[in-house]
Amino acid sequence: MKAFFIDLSICNGCYCCQIACKDEHVANDWTPYAKPQPDTGQFWIGITEQVRGQVPKVKVSYIPKMCQHCDDAPCIEQCEFDAIEKREDGLVIINPDKCTGCKLCADTCPHDAIFFNENLNIAQKCTGCAHLLDNDAEWTVPRCVDQCPTEALKFGEEADFADFIKDAEFLNPEAGTKSRVFYKNLPKKFVGGTLYDPVEKEVIIGATCTLKDTENGDTFTATTDNFGDFWFRKLDDDRTFTLTLDKGGKQKTIENIVTDKDLSLGDIPMGLV
Amino acid sequence: MEPIKTKDKTVLRSLGLGGYFGGGAEGMVDVKDGKIVRVRPMQYGWKYDKKDVRQWSMTRNGKTISPSWKSLPGPFSLAYKKRVYSPNRIKYPLKRVDWDPNGDRNTQNRGKSKYVRISWDEASKIVGDEIKRVHKEYGHNAVLLQGDGHGECKTINTPHGHAGVLLDNLGGFTLQVRNPDSWEGWYWGAKHVWGQGAQGIMYPAANIVKDTTEHADMVLFWGCDPETTPWGFTGQFASRLCYFWTEAEIKQIYICPDLNYGAAIHADKWIPVLPNTDAALQLAIIYMWIKEDAYDKEYVATHTVGMDKIEAYVMGQEDGVPKTPAWASKKCGVPEWTIKALAREFSDKITSIAHYFGGGMIRGAFAHEPARLECVLLGMQGLGGPGVHQHQLTYFGMPRAEGLGGTFFWNPEIEERLSIPVFSSVTAWQDQVIPKTLIQHAINRDGPITFSGTGAQNALVADQFNEYTFPIAKEKGGCDIHMIWTDTPCRITCWNYGHETELAMQSSQIEFIVAQHPWLENDCLYADVILPANTFMEVDDILTNIRQGTQQPNIMIADKAIEPIGESMSDFEIVVEIGKQFDMEEALTDGKTIADMQKKVWEYMGGEKLVTWEQLLEKKYWIYNTAEDWEEDTPGLRNFYEDPEKFPLGTPTGKLEFYSESLEKAFPDDMERPPIPKWIEKSENHDERMSSHRAKMFPMLLMSNHGRWRVHAQCDDITWTREAPTCKILGYDGYKYEPVWMHPSEAESRGIKDGDIVKIFNERGIVLAGAYVTERIRPGVVSIDHGARHDPLKTGEIERGGAINTISPGPITSKNCVGNVVQGYLIDVQRVTGQEMDQWRKDNPEAFAREYHPDAGLIFNAWVVGGEK
Repeated sequence: MKAFFIDLSICNGCYCCQIACKDEHVANDWTPYAKPQPDTGQFWIGITEQVRGQVPKVKVSYIPKMCQHCDDAPCIEQCEFDAIEKREDGLVIINPDKCTGCKLCADTCPHDAIFFNENLNIAQKCTGCAHLLDNDAEWTVPRCVDQCPTEALKFGEEADFADFIKDAEFLNPEAGTKSRVFYKNLPKKFVGGTLYDPVEKEVIIGATCTLKDTENGDTFTATTDNFGDFWFRKLDDDRTFTLTLDKGGKQKTIENIVTDKDLSLGDIPMGLV
Repeated sequence: MEPIKTKDKTVLRSLGLGGYFGGGAEGMVDVKDGKIVRVRPMQYGWKYDKKDVRQWSMTRNGKTISPSWKSLPGPFSLAYKKRVYSPNRIKYPLKRVDWDPNGDRNTQNRGKSKYVRISWDEASKIVGDEIKRVHKEYGHNAVLLQGDGHGECKTINTPHGHAGVLLDNLGGFTLQVRNPDSWEGWYWGAKHVWGQGAQGIMYPAANIVKDTTEHADMVLFWGCDPETTPWGFTGQFASRLCYFWTEAEIKQIYICPDLNYGAAIHADKWIPVLPNTDAALQLAIIYMWIKEDAYDKEYVATHTVGMDKIEAYVMGQEDGVPKTPAWASKKCGVPEWTIKALAREFSDKITSIAHYFGGGMIRGAFAHEPARLECVLLGMQGLGGPGVHQHQLTYFGMPRAEGLGGTFFWNPEIEERLSIPVFSSVTAWQDQVIPKTLIQHAINRDGPITFSGTGAQNALVADQFNEYTFPIAKEKGGCDIHMIWTDTPCRITCWNYGHETELAMQSSQIEFIVAQHPWLENDCLYADVILPANTFMEVDDILTNIRQGTQQPNIMIADKAIEPIGESMSDFEIVVEIGKQFDMEEALTDGKTIADMQKKVWEYMGGEKLVTWEQLLEKKYWIYNTAEDWEEDTPGLRNFYEDPEKFPLGTPTGKLEFYSESLEKAFPDDMERPPIPKWIEKSENHDERMSSHRAKMFPMLLMSNHGRWRVHAQCDDITWTREAPTCKILGYDGYKYEPVWMHPSEAESRGIKDGDIVKIFNERGIVLAGAYVTERIRPGVVSIDHGARHDPLKTGEIERGGAINTISPGPITSKNCVGNVVQGYLIDVQRVTGQEMDQWRKDNPEAFAREYHPDAGLIFNAWVVGGEK
C-alpha cells in the first residue's frame, strides 16, 4: 500500500506543493475521482508555517499538511452514503457523484483535511492524484510529490520506505486513525543564546552550558562556539529548565526557562574577572 | 471506470522570468481541449536516457551533489496558468476615454481615467500617425523608448525592444537606458577595484561553486537570499546547494536586516545588520585584521594598491576616527563582540561571500562603498585562492557544458533580427539617451541634464568617466521628449521615487504614451493607447536554457501551447503591425518565418555540432553534456591569485585597486565615492541615516528585497500565491495589502497589531500595507518587497497597492552614479485609523470604486469601460 513520507529537515517552504495541487484540481474536472475545487480557500495539501524564536535566534519551520489517507478513517465510518472508499493502494477517495453534501466527514476529520465546496455542495479533499496514477503511465506519484524540489515529499510503497518509517512520527498521533503520512523532523523547541564578556566586549568561546529539566532532572550540554553561541535543540514542549553557564571557574545561572515557545535568551553578559 | 484523458499534448517552456535569452526554470505544459491543464517541472528523462547524458558532481566531506533529473521551478512558474488566464489580461487594444489626438489630450488624467476598446486598425493608425506627427513637429528624438529588462523568456518574440528596431529604422529615438538594477554597488564600485567583471560582480567566475564547495569552510550570505531571487531565473537549485553545504559542514552566516527566506532555514547564524550600514561593519572588520595582523600581507603587497591609504583611514590617522567595532556598532546595530567574532572567523576560516543581486547592501545610497569594501575584505584574505570567491550564487560558476562557448545570457553574435531588440535593454545604442533613474527630470527639466556614464548594462568601466547631456545638441537632433513607447513597463513600482514618475507622466509635454503589455497593470495605467501583448504560452519559440545557474543546460523547441487570448499579439507582431503604417513589414521580419528563426537560433548555438535539426524537431529538446574536462577550468580569479603579473586584472594598474587613481582624477571633489571606499554618513543627495534630523519624524529604516512571490513586478495577481501568509494580508476592508514586516516591539509602541492596515510614509508620500508583526526583522527596520502592483489612491501621493518604490529616494546612487536607491531610507509606520480611511474614501471616491476582488486584486473591469462584456 502507498504512503506519503515527509522530511521536514529539507522542506524549504516554497509552497509549490500547495500550488501544484491547485494547478491540478482548480478548474479541472476529474470525476469520478474529484470535481474542481474552488479557485481559493481549499488546501488539499497546505503549508503551515511557524516562526520560532526571537531576534537574533529565529528559524522558520514549514509543515505540509494533507489528508492522511487513514487506515482507520473516521470519514469512511461516518459517511452514511457510501461515498468514501479506501482503495487497494491505500488512497481514500470521496466520490463526488455519491456525496450528498451532508458535511459529516468534514466535521469529523481530526486532521482538518476535508473541505466543503458550497457551490457544488460536496465534500472534497486530497485524492493522491489517483486520476493521474490510474490513467497516465507517466505519473507514478501525485503532483505535490512530483514537483518537490528538495525531495522533502515522497510517495510510494510502504515496504520500500522501512528505513524512513522507523524514525518517523505522525502529525496527530492522538487521533489514532492509522495515518499513511509519515513525518520526520517535526519541529521541536530550541533554546539558544550568545555569551559575552561585558568588560572586554568579547564573546566567550568554549563555555560549558548545562540545561537541566527542573522536574525530571534530564540534562543537556552544549559548548559556546566561536560566535559565543550555544544551542539546545529538539527539546520537548512545556518543560522548565535551569541553565548554567561555566567558563574558567566563573558561572552564571538562569532559571525558569520554559519551552512553551522557542527561546532566544539574547546576548548574555558574564564577567570573567 | 471510463479511462480519463489527462492531456492532449505536452509542450516545453522556460518558465523563468528573467527575460532576454538564456531561458531557465524549465517546465512542461500539458494542454487539453485547447486549454492549459497543468504546468509542471520538466522531466529531463522525457525523451533521453540519463545514462546518455554526461552530468557533473561535487563532493565535500563524503557528501555529494549532482543535478536533479528534473527541473525545479518556483511557485509563480508552476502557477503560470493563472497569468495566462488572468482576469487582468488585456484582450484587445484600448484607448483612454478622454485622450483625443485631434482635440484634448487631458494628460492630467493619466492614471485616473478609464479605457475603452478600439480596433487594431484604429490603434495602429493612431500610433503611426502620432509617430509621424511627433517626428515632423519635434524630431526623431522626441520619441522615447523605454528599454527595459526582465519579463518572459522568449528568443524570437522577446519583449522590451522590438519597437527600437522600428524606430531606429525610422531615423532613431531617445533611449531610456535601464540602469542595471540590483547591481548598483558592483557596477559603480567594484568595477573600479577589480575591473569590468560581469556588471561589476567578480568575473571570471568559472568553477567557483566547485571550488567553494571543496575548499571553503564558511560562506557569508551578505544580503543573499538563495531561497527567493533564483526562483525567477533558474528555479530552486540554489536551495539544494545550501542543504548540501550544510550536510558537508560548510558554515552559512547570514548578514541581513531581515531573516530572509534563506536565513530562515539554512543560517548557522543570523547577524541582523541595519540596512545599508554594511560599510561600517566592513571597516570594523578591516580594523580588527590590521590590529590583530590577521590578513594576507604578502598577497596584499603583490596583488593590490592603496592598502596604505586604507590603513590610514581605518586606523584613524586620516580623520581622527578609528573605525573600531565600538564605532561601527553604533552605526550598523551589530554588537561589538559579534563584530570582533565575525572578523576572526572570517580570517581564520577559508571564506567566500555569496550574493544574489539583492539584500540590504547593494541597492542603497552610496552602494558603491560597501561593494568596494567587500573587494578589500576579499583581497585582504587572498581573493582567488582556494575557497575565496565572490559569488552571484549559482548564477555564475556552475560546471561548463560541452559545446557551449559561454553562459552569457545573451550572445552578441546572434543575428540582428534577434539581437537588436535586446540592444535597448543592454546597450546605450542611440545618440540621445537618458538613464531610467532620471526620466522624471528629463520631462520636468529646468535646464540640460548632465550625467556621468549611461549606466547601460554592457557599458565598459571607461564609460563612467564620460559626461553626457540631455538633450544632446540641437544640431545633432537633440530635443525634448514628447512621446513615450513602453514595452512591459514597471517603473513606478520598481524604480526610484515612483510618485514623482506618476506626476511626470501626467505632464502635458508628453503628448502621447503607448504601452504594450499582456496585463493591465502598473505603468500601463498611464498610457493613452494600450496594445495587447500575448504570453509565451501563445507563441512558438525556441529557448536556450543556458542561463547562468541552469543545472542541466538544454535547448528546447517551445511549441505554442494555446491560441492567443483575445486579440493579443506577440511583442514582435505588435511592432510589425505598427510597422505596416510605415511600409516596414518586410524590413522588420526580414522575410523570415518563426520556423526559419528557430533554425537560425540552433545554428548560432553551433547546433550542428551538438544535435541534428531533425532530432531537435522530433524530440523537442536536447540536453548538453557536461564538458569532460570541466573540473580543470581555472576557478574564479585563480590565475590572478597565482601570478598577478602574468594575469593582471582589467584595471589601470592590473591590481586590485583599493585606491583608484582614475576615480581621483576624474572626480576629485566627489565626497560620496572617494578614491578609497569610506563610510558616508550623508551627502547633498542622501540624508537617510538614523543620525539624520529627519529621523525625528521618520525613525525607522526601510528594507526592501526582491519579491518572494514575484519577479520584480511580475505575477502579483496570481490568486494561489496570494494565499501565502507573507504574500498578501487581508485587511478588515476586504483588500489584500502588501505585507510590511515589523518587529513586535515596534508594533507595540505604535499600537499596531498583526493584520492591521498601516501606512508607511516619509515626505515623499504614503504607501498602505498590511502589518506582518514578526521576529523575522530586527527592531528599527521594516521590510516590504518592491514590485507590488500599483493602485493609486491619490496619484503622486498615496499608494494602496503596496508599491513601496513610490516613496523611495529620488536622487541617484551618488552624484556621478546613475543607479537607483530603493532601500535603506527613513520612514515611519503608523496604523491607519478608521477616520483617516473614511476621509480618503470621501476625497478619492473613484479610487475606492474600482472593481476589485481580493483573490487577484484589481481586475480588468476596474479600468475599462464596458470591460465586463
